[in-house]
Amino acid sequence: MKTGRKLGVGLVSAALVMSVVGCGNNGNNETSNTNTASPGTDATEAPATSSSKTEKVKIIYSMWGSAEEGSTTQAVADKFNASQDRIEVEVQAIPWESYMTKLNTLATADQLPDTGMLKEDGVIQWSSQGMLNDVSSMYEGSDSQPLESLAYKYQGKTVAYAAANEILLLYYNKDMFDKANVPYPPSVLDQAWTWDEFVETAKKLTIDKKGKHPGEDGFNSQSIVQYGASVENLPWQLETWTLSNGGGFYSNDGVEVRVGEDASIDAIQKVADLYLKDHVAPLSVGQTDDGIQRTIIAGTVAMATNGAWNVGTSLNTAKEAGLNYGVAVLPYMKDKVTLNTSGANVVFSQTKHPEEAMEWLKWYNSEENNWALISSGIWMPTLEKWYTDETLTHKWVDNPNFPSYDEYKSAVVDYAQSSAARPASWFFTNNTTEFNTLLGSVLGDVWTGKTTAKDAISKNLDALKAAHTGNQ
Amino acid sequence: MEIVNKPQKRRPRIFSAEARVAYICLIPAFLGLIFLTYLPLLGVLGISLTNWTGLKSPEFIGFDNYVKIFTTDPYIKDSIIATIYFAILSVIGSMIYSLFIALLLNRKIPARGFFRAVFYVPYVLPAAAIYVGWSWLYEGNFGFFNYLLSELGLNKILFIADSSYVVPSLSLISVWLAGNLIVIFLAGLQNVPVVYHEAAEMDGANGWQRFCHITLPCMTPIIFYNLLMSLIANLQVVTPALALTNGGPGNSSRFMTYLMYDQAFVNYKLGYACATTFIIFAILAGFTAILFKTSNKWIYNEGGDDK
Repeated sequence: MKTGRKLGVGLVSAALVMSVVGCGNNGNNETSNTNTASPGTDATEAPATSSSKTEKVKIIYSMWGSAEEGSTTQAVADKFNASQDRIEVEVQAIPWESYMTKLNTLATADQLPDTGMLKEDGVIQWSSQGMLNDVSSMYEGSDSQPLESLAYKYQGKTVAYAAANEILLLYYNKDMFDKANVPYPPSVLDQAWTWDEFVETAKKLTIDKKGKHPGEDGFNSQSIVQYGASVENLPWQLETWTLSNGGGFYSNDGVEVRVGEDASIDAIQKVADLYLKDHVAPLSVGQTDDGIQRTIIAGTVAMATNGAWNVGTSLNTAKEAGLNYGVAVLPYMKDKVTLNTSGANVVFSQTKHPEEAMEWLKWYNSEENNWALISSGIWMPTLEKWYTDETLTHKWVDNPNFPSYDEYKSAVVDYAQSSAARPASWFFTNNTTEFNTLLGSVLGDVWTGKTTAKDAISKNLDALKAAHTGNQ
Repeated sequence: MEIVNKPQKRRPRIFSAEARVAYICLIPAFLGLIFLTYLPLLGVLGISLTNWTGLKSPEFIGFDNYVKIFTTDPYIKDSIIATIYFAILSVIGSMIYSLFIALLLNRKIPARGFFRAVFYVPYVLPAAAIYVGWSWLYEGNFGFFNYLLSELGLNKILFIADSSYVVPSLSLISVWLAGNLIVIFLAGLQNVPVVYHEAAEMDGANGWQRFCHITLPCMTPIIFYNLLMSLIANLQVVTPALALTNGGPGNSSRFMTYLMYDQAFVNYKLGYACATTFIIFAILAGFTAILFKTSNKWIYNEGGDDK
């Protein structure tokens, strides 16, 4: 009796829910109709812009950050608003932790802002679901274009430009090098260390309690007091080493999975061996994104790889506190490779004003308007002229937040526009979040040596391929 | 006495004024339950039958999500094992630990109030701070525990970086956090009638015998309550994975709630996440049912069985 009643109630409520879901469906179908209509709204667009001569078109720009950061950006937008009489930009700041969730909710409700920032690994996914506009025309006729490696491409079309630029570097502690009387890592690409040179140097900088180095008699890997090197093993950064070894995570078009190839597997194993065999690296299991704090800033490691943003997010304060650090180009296995990355600025396909949205983005993305982030060292400029015109480079780099000009110019500015700089795979590949999460989980026991990269990846290759197609 | 024993005429209770007041007073709670618990639960069930991502409109796909979870999902098996392993270690550990501490704190020791506070404090500390603190203790290269080990000339232990140590290490934190159980045990211990102990003492029972034959049986209802609460809380574990391990190394700490969070708010597979949620719900319900089923076998009710 009791269960019977429960079942009845259950069925009735299930019916209710289904009808609610049904309604949701209808509602969304309507919105998706308007969505499909929006790319072709050029005809309806014309009257909108002509009427805006008298009344400004209102554009909402969403960004991640605190309310305070939001008002800083609004102040910048106000300058834009005052500079012309057609477009009025309103900034919406959403906290970073809930940013993508909030945007998803807004998308469902058909209430997305006109334009906004998007996390790097979300761009192609949103694009594949028809949520983003083609922005290829944004820089038509401009004197300076963003670096080629900073365009997000989906099916050959540019769907977004990076909001900033970041590349991966080798940071090192100069005092540790001086003390060991070892030459600094090269900041010039032509002189980049091979992987073996990198490991050899790291051995000289790894010291146990008795002052012995790896490979010497009496060296005890259990009592290391200073490590020589740490290569960040967050999954997305590992792609660098697979590419450098002639492999990769994916094929160049992002279609095939290549992480199962020997070259890719060997590269990952080499990174793991820094801890396991060479005894030059502290253990890191790729769980947390605080590599530089754990290594260079903690003062326990002589060299560490990570992104350029660390110059402004943590190293600048450490430098003030007396840390003497330098920047260098990454070592390489077969090809010299570093990755470009950055979150994107997109135009949502739900907008009724794509032209105005692009105009605002183009204006806003010019470096002068993000100067606080750029001069602190967190962001690197996106426009090519900052890399090629040395007066602009001086303006950007010549300030106390940065390491010495010559070093940074060569190890970061020149490196970023060299042939070694390649876009991270999320610039052109879908489902990178799922792939990276699974890869991270697959490699968990590789870092501690319980299994090898070969076994771990081969065993899970099908699952990785499924994750890549978004179908796990 | 007579009045009480007189058989009373029974009116349907629903019409009595008292019952009416009771129902009216219950309405807000019922509304809350229905709209904040049962309907959302059904909503979750409904969404779990779709491929909703939050972006495109959801399509009904029947039981595809469930089929996928049980056939091709690379995480779910490890996740269920990790969660149950963690829950069993934590529940057993924290029950023994907190009962032991409660017994100690129930004695007439100096500065008893101070010690009671000391053991309760971990429970009220902010979770994020606790886990950051423990991460320094556990760190594999230079962490405090490893510093002690290397001072003793022992090999390092990769507490949370090694897939075989991570769950026991995290369980230890959860045991340490069991201050709330101690408080409830203490309250229970103070209700164990002193007369029983006095009588047993006269009969020559030693401390251990008194504990086994008086304290424990009298405490069984409290033990049951603590067991249930602790089991449910530990099966829903998510904070250590979010704060410390991100589910790793490998899948060794990818607890079910974390898996669900990851599917829903990192990968935005909301339909799929709802299906996972329902499986978690089923597992929780299963464990709770087992506990209730076995409970009347070992719970001692002083007032007799009055169910």
